[in-house]
Amino acid sequence: MTSTTAAVEADQLVKIYPGNVHAVAGISFSVPAGEAFGLLGPNGAGKTTTIGMLTTTVKPTSGRATLGGIDVARNPTATRAISSVVFQDAVVDRPLTGRQNLLLHLRLWGVDPAAGRIRCDQLSDAVGITHLLDRPVATYSGGERRRLEIVRALLSGPQVLFLDEPTVGLDTRVRHDLFDAITTIRERTGVTIIMTTHYLDEAERLCDRLAIVDAGRIVVCDSPRNLLASIGPEVLDLRVANPEMALAALRGRGIAEHDIAVTGSTVTASLRDVSSQHITEHLTRFSVTVHSATTRRPSLDDVYLRLTGAHIATGTDN
Amino acid sequence: MTTATTTAPAAVLPAPAISRPTNVVPALALRRLALTIRSPRAVAIPLLAPVLFALVVAPALGNTLAGPGQHRTYMTFVALAAAGLLIPVNCMFTGLGVLTDRQHGAMRELLVAPIRRSSIVLGNLLAALVITALQVSVLIFVVALRGAQFHTGRHLVWLVASAVGLAVFVYSLAETFATKITNAEEYTGLVPPIAIVPFFFAGTLYPITSLPGWLAGIAKVLPLTHAVALFRYGLTTQGEQALHNIWGMTDPTRMALLSLAVVSAYAAAALALAIRLFAKAGTS
Repeated sequence: MTSTTAAVEADQLVKIYPGNVHAVAGISFSVPAGEAFGLLGPNGAGKTTTIGMLTTTVKPTSGRATLGGIDVARNPTATRAISSVVFQDAVVDRPLTGRQNLLLHLRLWGVDPAAGRIRCDQLSDAVGITHLLDRPVATYSGGERRRLEIVRALLSGPQVLFLDEPTVGLDTRVRHDLFDAITTIRERTGVTIIMTTHYLDEAERLCDRLAIVDAGRIVVCDSPRNLLASIGPEVLDLRVANPEMALAALRGRGIAEHDIAVTGSTVTASLRDVSSQHITEHLTRFSVTVHSATTRRPSLDDVYLRLTGAHIATGTDN
Repeated sequence: MTTATTTAPAAVLPAPAISRPTNVVPALALRRLALTIRSPRAVAIPLLAPVLFALVVAPALGNTLAGPGQHRTYMTFVALAAAGLLIPVNCMFTGLGVLTDRQHGAMRELLVAPIRRSSIVLGNLLAALVITALQVSVLIFVVALRGAQFHTGRHLVWLVASAVGLAVFVYSLAETFATKITNAEEYTGLVPPIAIVPFFFAGTLYPITSLPGWLAGIAKVLPLTHAVALFRYGLTTQGEQALHNIWGMTDPTRMALLSLAVVSAYAAAALALAIRLFAKAGTS
């Protein structure tokens, strides 16, 4: 791969499943080598299908994708040789030991056995699972199993590592341990990471750039910092008696016109160009009852809310 | 005074040398065997019924039905045919492993490996053949201990070749069903019609000439009928008659070749279908 070739390139990828289900409706992005790129969106947004197309398990209806400059559809075996996947759920041989699972990966990816064993030890050590390797995987906890899968995925020295919802189903402490493991692995290998997630903290912490995906399309793509900056330094959550009336009152006066959204009885407004006091006073003037008003730092969920009108956690499955 | 401490960054791991994977099929077969031997029941249970059949039912039928001095001959006739029950039952149960792999195992990892997807089918098949060979050896050994009259070395190669062909055929069917079916219960429901029902029409308990004409015609196109005739041709003196009942010829070698060709054709067609469907199912 030359330095000018993107590690991953997706160009207008579309996937329509039987029954006219549009899982992915034209996704394009380019990821340079060494970047951690996230696809953030609710369940059913089309993230996993996109990963499936990039890893050759889902055939695109149209569009093109390359890994390291190699066309995924035309040369699937070559693209599989330079990539690895950590799946959303456990994809391991549970009756076998961790080491047996790792050795099989070495053989299937054609890794030199001696070099592979050394790398196996180094990576296992880096994420703290060396002591587990000779136990059947069935005895591992969820976090341990996920670490094993990450080590396995890196054994062949892939140029691109796909992490599909890497911490889904894990408790908070284990999730944070795994964040550390992924960060360590990234520092030690320089691998390009494409990850899907619907966890905002995960996306913010692990990704250099994020594509927010909604209904099979990318609605925005930027660094987490820039995405958060687009909302402003703070947001105001107002719990009101009549949110539609509140929205109309604020928009009628041009207050936070594009930076305001309603979910349930809560109106969320950016405080980029207006103060919280100004907003509450204006609502009172329009006889809108405000039950509570809270200011907080914006999150990526606010970015998603502003762009799609829904929270990531309440997105619909397709 | 403030003291700044820094942690030396961990050394970057160099990517290992990789080459085009070789010996993938044996590696996948060893994986499948490693999974199977961790569940000894998977090996023992398919063996149970055929061994009991050969040790108990065959001698009992011999004593009941055969004329004086003939019960050992009939026992041999029936006991060896038990391999025609063992191979299909074992291969069908081995196919369950593919279903488990897809739902709870490492199948998706295999599908994103830089290997031909046919290698996965062939690896599973190789493991099924190894287990089947072990089971058939055990069956023949216990049947011999029970007093069956075998002529070892006579045409043993026919037995081996037809057993391999039958195993490839049934395992390929099993792999095909496991690819298309998502429910283990639905899959298990296929075992009797695929593995057990043909046993009763394949000249196992009685010559196919004893069947009504139309049923004998069906029996002649079953691969199991040809395989069982070849088992007998390989290990007993009864094989020539079994082959004659199918082909109506007099040259035993020619008839054996024709029967082996039938079994091989079924095996090749079923394997090609299994590989094609598996590869197709690997990409949605």
